[in-house]
Amino acid sequence: MRVNPNLVPDILAGLQQSQTTLNQALEQISTGKSVNAPSDNPAAASEMVQNTIETANVDQYTQNVTAVLSKVQASDSALSSVVSSLTQAISLGTEGANSTNSAANQQAIASQVQGILSSVVSLANTSYQGAYLFGGTANSQPPYTADSSSPTGYTYNGNSDQNSVAIGDSTNVQVNLPGSQIFSNSTTNVLGSLSALVTALQSGNSSAISTATTGVTTALNYVGQQRVFYANAESQLNSQETYLQQETVNLSSQQTSLIGVDMAQAATTLSQAETDNSAALAAAAKVLPTTLLNYLATPS
Amino acid sequence: MGGLNTTLLIGIQALEASQGAINATSNNIANANTPGYTREVPQFTETPLNQVNDQLLGGGVSLNGLQSVRDELLNLQIQQQTSSQSSVDTQSTSLQQVQTYFTSTGGDIASALSSFSSSLAELSANSSDAAVQQTVLSSGQNLANAFNSTANGLTSVQSAANTQVTQTIAQINTLTNQIAQLNGQLWQLQASGQDGGTVQDQRDQAVLQLSQLTNIAVTQSSDGETITTGNGSPLVMGSQSFSLQTATGSNGMQQVLDSSGNNITASIQGGQLGGAIQIRDQVIPGYLNQLNTLATQFGASFNAAQAQGFDSNGNKGQNFFTVPSVNAAAGFSVAITNPALIAVSSDGSSGSNGNVANLSATLTSKLPSGQTPAQAYASLVYQVGNATSTATSQSSAIGQNLLQLTNQQSSISGVNIDEETTNLIKYQQAYEAAARIVSTIQALGTVTLDMGSSQSY
Repeated sequence: MRVNPNLVPDILAGLQQSQTTLNQALEQISTGKSVNAPSDNPAAASEMVQNTIETANVDQYTQNVTAVLSKVQASDSALSSVVSSLTQAISLGTEGANSTNSAANQQAIASQVQGILSSVVSLANTSYQGAYLFGGTANSQPPYTADSSSPTGYTYNGNSDQNSVAIGDSTNVQVNLPGSQIFSNSTTNVLGSLSALVTALQSGNSSAISTATTGVTTALNYVGQQRVFYANAESQLNSQETYLQQETVNLSSQQTSLIGVDMAQAATTLSQAETDNSAALAAAAKVLPTTLLNYLATPS
Repeated sequence: MGGLNTTLLIGIQALEASQGAINATSNNIANANTPGYTREVPQFTETPLNQVNDQLLGGGVSLNGLQSVRDELLNLQIQQQTSSQSSVDTQSTSLQQVQTYFTSTGGDIASALSSFSSSLAELSANSSDAAVQQTVLSSGQNLANAFNSTANGLTSVQSAANTQVTQTIAQINTLTNQIAQLNGQLWQLQASGQDGGTVQDQRDQAVLQLSQLTNIAVTQSSDGETITTGNGSPLVMGSQSFSLQTATGSNGMQQVLDSSGNNITASIQGGQLGGAIQIRDQVIPGYLNQLNTLATQFGASFNAAQAQGFDSNGNKGQNFFTVPSVNAAAGFSVAITNPALIAVSSDGSSGSNGNVANLSATLTSKLPSGQTPAQAYASLVYQVGNATSTATSQSSAIGQNLLQLTNQQSSISGVNIDEETTNLIKYQQAYEAAARIVSTIQALGTVTLDMGSSQSY
C-alpha cells in the first residue's frame, strides 16, 4: 500500500493535542482549580452550586451566633443585676421589719428600696444596640413606664412575642423572653412586689413589711427560674458555634475535593505535557524538511 | 520500409511522452500543497506495431493523457464525517459561550443565590437594622440581575446562531451554484473522453465545503452528480442548482425553505447549518425554559412568603419580585425600592423577625418543580457543562476519525515529493535517452548521405 506522503495533518493534530494538555495543566496550576468551567467536570460544577450557597450561609450563621451570643449575654447580665438588686431589697426589707428601727430610719430604708425599684425598672428597660431586650418583639419603646393607675405602679408596653434567629439551615435559637414573662406571672410580679415593699416600709407596719419582703423573695425565685432560658440559649449557641466551625472545614474540604488541584500531580502533568510537546516539536522539525532532494547532488 | 525515419519518429514520440510526463510530474510537485489536489499519473501506451517486411517492429510510445488517482467511496465518507464534525464544532463553540454564563464568576446565579441566602440569614439576626434590610434588597437586585444577564446571554447566543443560519444558507447557495457549473464543465470534458481531473478536484473540493455547511446526500447519475440535503430536498442536479431560501418564522427565527418553498428547518441535520439550528431551536430554548421556570417559581414562592408577614411599617408584605409571565428570567426584577417594605415581622411589630424564617425557607424548600432553587440551578449547570464537554469530546473523536480518513485519502491521492522526484529523474533519463536516439539517427543520416562520396576520413 502506498504510504501517506502528507505528514502535516498528523503532526499538527499531535502538536495540537500536546498543546491542549499543556494549556490545561497550566490553567489548573495558575488558577489552583481543576474545574474552571462547567464542562471541565459537570458533576463537580453542579455540586459546587450547593457548596457555594452553604459556605456563605455557614459564614453568616457563625456571625449570627456571635451577634446573638452577645445579645443573650447582655440580657443575662441585666437579669443577674436584677437578682442582686432583689437580694439587696430583701435584706433591706428584713432590716425594715425590725421593730427597733426609728421612723426616720424606716423612711431611709424605704427610699433605698425605692432606689432599687428604679434601678430594676431601668434594668427591665435595658436596650442593646437600640432595641429593648425585654419588650417581646415590640422592642422600639421602653417596655415599662410608670403608671399610677396600675396596681403595680408600672405598665408593660411590650408584647408576648419571641424572636428566633437562624443559626443553621433548620436550626433556630430563641433569643428573647418577653418582660411580661420574665418579671411577672399570675402570682408574682417583680415591680409590684418592690412597690409593695416601699409602701409597707413607708407605712412602718412590721408585719406588712414582712409580708412584702416575702413577696419580693417569691419574685426573686421566679426571676431566677427565668434566667435558665438564657443559660440554655448560651449553651445552645456555644455548641452550634463548634458545629459551624466543623461545617466550615467540611465544606472547604468538599470544595477542595470537587474543584481543587493536587499541585504535585498538576506539576507532574505539566512537566509531562512539556516533554510531550517538545518531543512532538522535535519530531516535526526532523521529519518535515527531509525529502529525497536532500540526498541528490545539486545539478552542476 | 521503416528505415531511419521510423526510428526518428519513435525518438520524437519518446521525447514528447517524456516531456508530457515531466510536465505532469512538475504539476504534481507544484500542487503538492493545494487542498483537494489529486495527483495525476501519465498514461503511457505502446503505439501499434509496424510490420517491416516480415518483421514486426515496435511502434514507440504515446502519452494517452493523465489519470487522476482518486477513491470516490473514501471521498463520500470524508464528506459525511466533515458534516458531523462541523455540526458538533458549531454546537461546541456556542456551548462554550453558553457555559461562561454558568461559570462561577461572582455575577452568576449561584453566587447571587448564595449572597441572597446569607443576607436573609443576616436579616434573621438583625431584622430591624435598616442597613441589613438594604443588604437584602441589594442582594435581591443582584439575583434579578444574574437572572437577567444569564437569560440575555442565552438569547444572544441564540440570535448569533440565527444569524449563522442566514449566512450559511447564502454560502450553501453560492456553493451549489458553483458545483452545478463545474458539473456541466466536467460532463462536457468527459463526453469528449478527457479525464477532467482538475475540474473534478475543484468540484470535489466544493462538495466537501458544502458538506461542512450541511449534511448532504451525493449520488452519481448519467448527467453528473445529484446532491440533496439529508432529507432529500434537491440542491444540485447535474448542471442545475436549486437555491434554499429563508423566511422569518412565527418565533422570529429564520426558517429554511427548499426551492419549492417547503419549510425544511426541522429536518436539517449536520454541518454548520444543522449545528446552528440545533443550538437555536433545541438546546438554548431548553435551557431558557428551565431558567424561566426557576425564575417564575422562585419569584412566586418568595412573594408568597412576603405576603405571610408584615413590613417595618406594620403593613402586610407586598411583592418583593416582579416576575413577568413571558420571558420570566429576562424580565425578573425587584418590585420594591424601600428596604422597609421587606416583610420581616410576623406579628406587625417592627421588632419581630418571625417572617424572616419564611423568607429564608423559600431558598431551602422545594419549588413546584420538585427541586430547591439551588438544585434547579445546579441541574442546569450540570446539563450545560455536560453538553459542552460531550460536544468537545465528540468533536475530537470525529476529528480523529476524519484524520484517519484524510490520511487514507492522502495515501491514495496525495503528492509524494520523493516519488515525484524519483519520477522526475526517471523521465529526465528517458528524455535524455530519447534525445540521444534523435542525435544518433541524425548522425546515421549524415553517414548514410555521405556514403556515396569518395572522401575518406
